[in-house]
Amino acid sequence: MMILLQGNWSLFIGRFHPLLVHLPIGMLIIAFILEVMSKNRRLTVLSAAVLPVLVFGALSAIAACIAGLLLSSSGGYDEAALDLHMWMGIGVAVISVLLCVFRRYALFRKAWLPISFVMIVLLSAAGHFGGNLTHGEDYLTAEFPLGKGAAAGATTAIANLNEAKVYDQLVRPILEQKCYSCHNEAKLKGGLRLDGMDHIRKGGENGPVIKDSVPEASELYKRLILSEADDKRMPPKGKPQLTPQQLEILYWWIEQGASPDATVKDLHHTPRMQLVLEGMQPSGGSDVHPFMPQEEVSEASPQDIGALEKIGVKVMPVANENGFVMVSAVNASGFGNKEAALLLPLKKQIVWLKLSNTQTGDSALKVISQLPELTRLYLENTPVTDEGLVHLANCKQLKYLNLVGTKVTDKGILLLQKNAALKELFLYKTAVTPAALSQLRKAVPEMAIDTGGYRMPALITDTLVYRKQKL
Amino acid sequence: MSEKIIQEANERAAKYFSRRHFLQDCITGLGATALGSLLGGCNIFSGPGNGAMPQSLNPLEPRAPHFPARAKSVIYLHMAGAPSQLELFDYKPELQKLHNQLCPPSILEGKKFAFIRGVPKMLGPQAVFAQHGESRAWVSDHLPHFSKMVDDVSFLKAVQTDQFNHGPAQLFMHTGSARLGRPSIGSWVTYGLGSENSNLPGFVVLTSGGKTPDAGKSVWGSGFLPSVYQGVQCRSKGDPVLFLTDPEGMDRDMRYQSIHAINEVNKLEYERFQDPEILSRISQYELAYKMQISVPGVMDIADEPEYIHQLYGTQPGKEAFANNCLLARKLVEKGVRFVQLFDWGWDAHGTGEDLSIDYGLRNKAREIDKPISALLMDLKQRGLLDETLVVWGGEFGRTPMQENRDGKEMPYLGRDHHVEAFTMWMAGAGIKKGGSWGETDEIGFAAVKGKVAVHDIHATMLQQLGFDHEKLTYQFQGRPFRLTDVEGHVIHEILG
Repeated sequence: MMILLQGNWSLFIGRFHPLLVHLPIGMLIIAFILEVMSKNRRLTVLSAAVLPVLVFGALSAIAACIAGLLLSSSGGYDEAALDLHMWMGIGVAVISVLLCVFRRYALFRKAWLPISFVMIVLLSAAGHFGGNLTHGEDYLTAEFPLGKGAAAGATTAIANLNEAKVYDQLVRPILEQKCYSCHNEAKLKGGLRLDGMDHIRKGGENGPVIKDSVPEASELYKRLILSEADDKRMPPKGKPQLTPQQLEILYWWIEQGASPDATVKDLHHTPRMQLVLEGMQPSGGSDVHPFMPQEEVSEASPQDIGALEKIGVKVMPVANENGFVMVSAVNASGFGNKEAALLLPLKKQIVWLKLSNTQTGDSALKVISQLPELTRLYLENTPVTDEGLVHLANCKQLKYLNLVGTKVTDKGILLLQKNAALKELFLYKTAVTPAALSQLRKAVPEMAIDTGGYRMPALITDTLVYRKQKL
Repeated sequence: MSEKIIQEANERAAKYFSRRHFLQDCITGLGATALGSLLGGCNIFSGPGNGAMPQSLNPLEPRAPHFPARAKSVIYLHMAGAPSQLELFDYKPELQKLHNQLCPPSILEGKKFAFIRGVPKMLGPQAVFAQHGESRAWVSDHLPHFSKMVDDVSFLKAVQTDQFNHGPAQLFMHTGSARLGRPSIGSWVTYGLGSENSNLPGFVVLTSGGKTPDAGKSVWGSGFLPSVYQGVQCRSKGDPVLFLTDPEGMDRDMRYQSIHAINEVNKLEYERFQDPEILSRISQYELAYKMQISVPGVMDIADEPEYIHQLYGTQPGKEAFANNCLLARKLVEKGVRFVQLFDWGWDAHGTGEDLSIDYGLRNKAREIDKPISALLMDLKQRGLLDETLVVWGGEFGRTPMQENRDGKEMPYLGRDHHVEAFTMWMAGAGIKKGGSWGETDEIGFAAVKGKVAVHDIHATMLQQLGFDHEKLTYQFQGRPFRLTDVEGHVIHEILG
């Protein structure tokens, strides 16, 4: 028997603990329910069923205890919590056996119900602490929607991400969640404590765990990406692992110097980290369309739409059962200042307006500026000038403006500073100078300005044709 | 003459009102009437069906998607023949270590290959890889220009298919089914959205590389959708569309009059028979008339400035992938919904110099490198990239093993067809910038993380166009059909 339980066998059997443990839970609870029910005069007959259920429950409780003991020998658990769970489990097994004996020999009849009750309380507590051991202490309550636990939950929403402290608010919660249980004051596996910046800097028995700015050479990161079969892998196989986002945060923090007090905005945002950060923004999901108003609007009247379609302008609803429309003059190159007035009856509905390659001029922009919901405006290759841009200051919702191939100059685009919502501006093939651009960029740093004119370097390989050398 | 026409019309009418039709009408008519009265107020059999589009006389009328879209147009760059992911994007240093060693039998167990027989040797990456951009994406030196664009695209590194022959795999990639008869993605999209520009087709196809795809024209066919939604293939050399000029002795006015008359007759026919193919015919006549004016302007790349030609590396007058990329940009600019490019010549088995990993693939990569990079740049500078979804990929990938057709040594290095993992990328229209999803094992044989099926790609494309892929359906043979059949998950990991 001892030989059997040595080595791998003990862990193999031990791992049956989570499976076996649910049997006594179910059985003993049923025994208790039957016990209670049999107190009813009409159901006294149930009393006879209690003993067999109890016996089965007690046997499975013993089996679960044995498996549990074997599992605990594999180590890696918080010892205080483990002790509590173990003694409670053993308590349940002992009490259930006692109850079996009492029932079999009809001893202490009066005490059966109270003892069963104590057993159930103990069973519940043992079950709860067992769950904590496996899933972590905050598993049960972390998602409680009203508690602050949900908001503090590691990498979920942080109110002001840019001002958040990288170590305190991003890194520490990860370590707390995934590493503290083994690397704390009490446990100190590998001589390493991770619960505090000083301890992290100090490292473990094999030296420091962070090599500044080189995550690939820092044990704190390196071990996380080893294969799961590797002995050195952290967290070890079977323990809750870091999510890809959490890995990226640790990588980034070390890469940027593992500073104890930098805020998110202090550090350089690599594109990969940018993606992670975006994912952490509250409500920044892909479900929210970046160019659509949040409110709803009634549908435009067919007459007003008809008037535009008569001159070849397409009016397209943005979506089913959505009143907002996209208006395209792609088939109406004659569209100009006179026709712009036809847009006004749809002013509540137009969000997207494509007037590229038309005769739209400055006075049309005056009309367009009265479209309060307009978010995207295409004016490529139209005769608009700086004078027209004056009017656009009224378009408070304008997020995208395409001025490719127009006559706008520095004077005009500097007026766009007033468009607080403007995120994308296209100025390819315009006379705008770099000086004005840098002034605009400084004033509105979040505006993405594309002046185009991209070139590719000429490479010798561009014209090379690879052929096998004929001998 | 007129007698003949009348006779023809009578015969046609007779064909429609045969005894069989009469009986069929009686049965279905009576049945439906009875059922209708049984069901009382229950209205499920009337009105537009599940997701069916309201039928106006113009089948290409712009229509609304299910929800506001991120993409208005799609440019799909299909590398027919299947490029090797192991020489372009999927860097496998471990494979280099195994170069020229026999493939471990554990990998081959239970697998079937198109040409590999027995135990092949492993073939290390035949390219030099480096990480590029801020996204640290791996790209080989075969694509020096594209490697500068990686921060604009999202890679899918673990795409899987279940077809290892070109024809079925291309059909699967473009119609969602390996068998004939289903509409292509472009057809679904024009069916769903109509066309913004009424002077141009909503779905244009351009080919290069000297051959059309192995699957034939069905990869841009409309399947069971009305044929008005099929892709319009424009010639890549010479006149893009034939017979655009009016024939001698026929002026534009007369042309208009005759097309108008034909369409009037066709409208009568439609009122009588309600056959959607008649609507297709009407709209094609109208479109053809309008294209006489619109096409020469749009399809002519000669009026583009010189530096644009340099950017793309175009070769005016020749059939070239670069020309097609430039045309794709011009078409999207004009509101064409779906531009499908096919470039043939990626089938690097090693059977010949042009179809080899060591020579042919490098030449093909060089041919597309500038054009695809230029396309992304050009869309970007014109403010079109954030509403244009660009998709690049082949119909499957290539094996980490060297091909040994018939168990023999091949004259050149080659790789066989591989279905278990290959790379595709998407860009623009709400796709993450500098993203990557999916991983393959150490030798690039199997997908280990972020597996993506062909239907998932379709679901994602439809999602960006504003469609719930489960709701864009067409009633056919008694049941609603969709592009993604009963599968497909949107790949949220690459959405920004």
